[in-house]
Amino acid sequence: MMQTVHLDNVSKRFRLGASNEYGRITEAIAGVFKRWVAPDLSLAHAGNGVPNSQIRDGWFWALDGLQLEVQQGEILGIVGKNGAGKSTLLKLLARIITPTTGRVGVRGRVGSLLEVGTGFHPELTGRENVYLNGSILGMSRRDIKARFDQIVDFAEIGPFLDTPVKRYSSGMAVRLAFSVAAYLEPDVLIVDEVLAVGDQAFQQKCILKAKELGEQGRTVLLVSHNLASVANLCTRAVYLREGRLILDSSPSTVIEEYLRSSVGVSGIKRWEQDDAPKSSRLRVREVSVQSSSDSDEARGEMDIDRPIRIAVAFEVLEDNAIVTSSLRLKDESAVNILWSTNATSMCQRPDPLYGKPLSKGLYQTACTLPSNFLNDSRYFISIALGEKPGDAEIELDSVLSFVVHDTGAMRKEYAGNWSGPIIRPRLDWYSQPMECPPSA
Amino acid sequence: MSSEPIPPPLRYYGAGDPLGLEQIGEVWQRRELLFRFFQRDLLIRYRQVVVGILWVLVQPLLGALIFMGLFFVLGTKASGSNAAYPNVVLIGMLCWQLVSISLRDATGSLVNYRHVVTKIYFPRLLLPLAGLMCAVFDFLVGCTLLIPTLYLTGASVQWSTVWLCIPIIAWMILFCIGCIAWLSSLNALYRDVGYALPFALQLGMFVSPVVYDLERVSTSLGPHWQTLYEANPIASCISSLRWAILGTQPPSGLGLITSLLITAVLLFSGLAWFRVADRQLADRI
Repeated sequence: MMQTVHLDNVSKRFRLGASNEYGRITEAIAGVFKRWVAPDLSLAHAGNGVPNSQIRDGWFWALDGLQLEVQQGEILGIVGKNGAGKSTLLKLLARIITPTTGRVGVRGRVGSLLEVGTGFHPELTGRENVYLNGSILGMSRRDIKARFDQIVDFAEIGPFLDTPVKRYSSGMAVRLAFSVAAYLEPDVLIVDEVLAVGDQAFQQKCILKAKELGEQGRTVLLVSHNLASVANLCTRAVYLREGRLILDSSPSTVIEEYLRSSVGVSGIKRWEQDDAPKSSRLRVREVSVQSSSDSDEARGEMDIDRPIRIAVAFEVLEDNAIVTSSLRLKDESAVNILWSTNATSMCQRPDPLYGKPLSKGLYQTACTLPSNFLNDSRYFISIALGEKPGDAEIELDSVLSFVVHDTGAMRKEYAGNWSGPIIRPRLDWYSQPMECPPSA
Repeated sequence: MSSEPIPPPLRYYGAGDPLGLEQIGEVWQRRELLFRFFQRDLLIRYRQVVVGILWVLVQPLLGALIFMGLFFVLGTKASGSNAAYPNVVLIGMLCWQLVSISLRDATGSLVNYRHVVTKIYFPRLLLPLAGLMCAVFDFLVGCTLLIPTLYLTGASVQWSTVWLCIPIIAWMILFCIGCIAWLSSLNALYRDVGYALPFALQLGMFVSPVVYDLERVSTSLGPHWQTLYEANPIASCISSLRWAILGTQPPSGLGLITSLLITAVLLFSGLAWFRVADRQLADRI
């Protein structure tokens, strides 16, 4: 194995406050004057009342003492919340910004794809943009020429090749831009969220392309909020939190840890009046999950043979509001398991308040999952509120998680391994003797 | 596996050399991209424009005509030499537009393309240089205007003057590179530069012999002030170019040396500064 990327104790800090705090000569003079008058003014401002280990002396440490080595052929996924330092890390690797301390080393040619279509110009035609974009990404004219037909085929823009890009649909522009990048063949490829663009089929194409690059022995570093693609694609993953490396392991371990540490496990999540997720009409006060048999206690551990009740309490802030709730369940590798709303045709019995204008006040909507339905695993709850099914006026992604425990209710005959399947419903089975032989 | 080529070594991104001369090598490595940027700037400048590439000729011609008309109406002579005024003003206009257009386009280039600068790495010097290349392109195309005017005014021009012109034009381009290395990076950090530039250019046009010539001012300036006047590389460049083509008064030796020194200082300090600014560009642009 050969090391292709090395980050040696890398830190990066940014000045807090306006990005151009020292962007103007007058402001620089004013800043000196202010410091002279009130020496600790900038510090008081920087603290802002919120305790944050990343803020020290008026600087924000986006990355703090990062140590990372990546071997050739690895596809490394980088997960973490917004502001954990993921994009900063990629920018350091791509040489766009320079580290405050430490050093960054890369072997071979680096291709960075921090955005689809960097440098695309709307006035230029598709053909001209392929050459321009390819050159910016670091391809030589000969490389582009040799792959030009493949690029155009991959993008599926055929007859529009000599039309200015400003007349393209946004989907076409994105497809063309990705195609150029897909045929860039660097030793180290740095990708940020690019896979989030395009429709399902195109995303699939992108994932296949990234896999192919790894198999060719190229190193890929990938930031994505789509945990499923990290799980499918990567050979290794790291978890960043507040600028520090928390975990460096296999993708499944890292995703599990990331979800566990960033999602509530107590079975209930309450918000205070002022920090509650809200829209102009609605405010969420509480999301809870409980086993239906327990009278009132919310908990994050369920028995497999008990129904599971998921409830959301919300406040309606204006009269005559129509509110629809929806529920999404995901598993540990962020695969969608189900999505449901309280629309009448999706329910076992009609929800009495569905589609009804509500007056101001507090309401609760609850959904019950049947017993003996989910497998022995951890599940994540996402809730969305809106006017119609599918609306997401307020969206709470992976707000709670719960674990389903096998109680042995379904294991009277079988004691073997049941891990793998996402759901484990009791189904209707029926055997009977047949009167005549089949296809006589 | 043993037949595979030896992999490149693990290279750490460094600060580069303090003089910033490494940048020249980087620019040369990515000359294809420089050419693409130049091509793009050229293409988009004249997209959706009816007159198209002819604007390159119209701009210096109109500039020259305006001043010819102005001095005709005022009844004063802007030229102190025997050379025909149309030739004098056209050479001045072409040179001045090379300087002013390259400074104007290059100064804004980093800021205008900050969405590229903050998303991908390439030698940042390429962007202002592409702006300069456009201005040089305009200049060279505009120079063809001199052929009919020189012919019509009956000026005698030898082939050898062309060889004299090349180092003078190269000097002017090096001066522009020094300026844009400073201005483009400073503008990325302090936007004031972009606001101040139009005024500076307006002033620059009057302190350089663009619409008048050196003979017209040399007597009233006196030898000391003339040296100071010629220390401005634009003034020396234009006077030298007029001397080469029209045989008018060349800049004094002292003035010439001073302005060459200023050009060299500007160029090397510009490259060194650009490297310093480059490292904080993406953070502060």
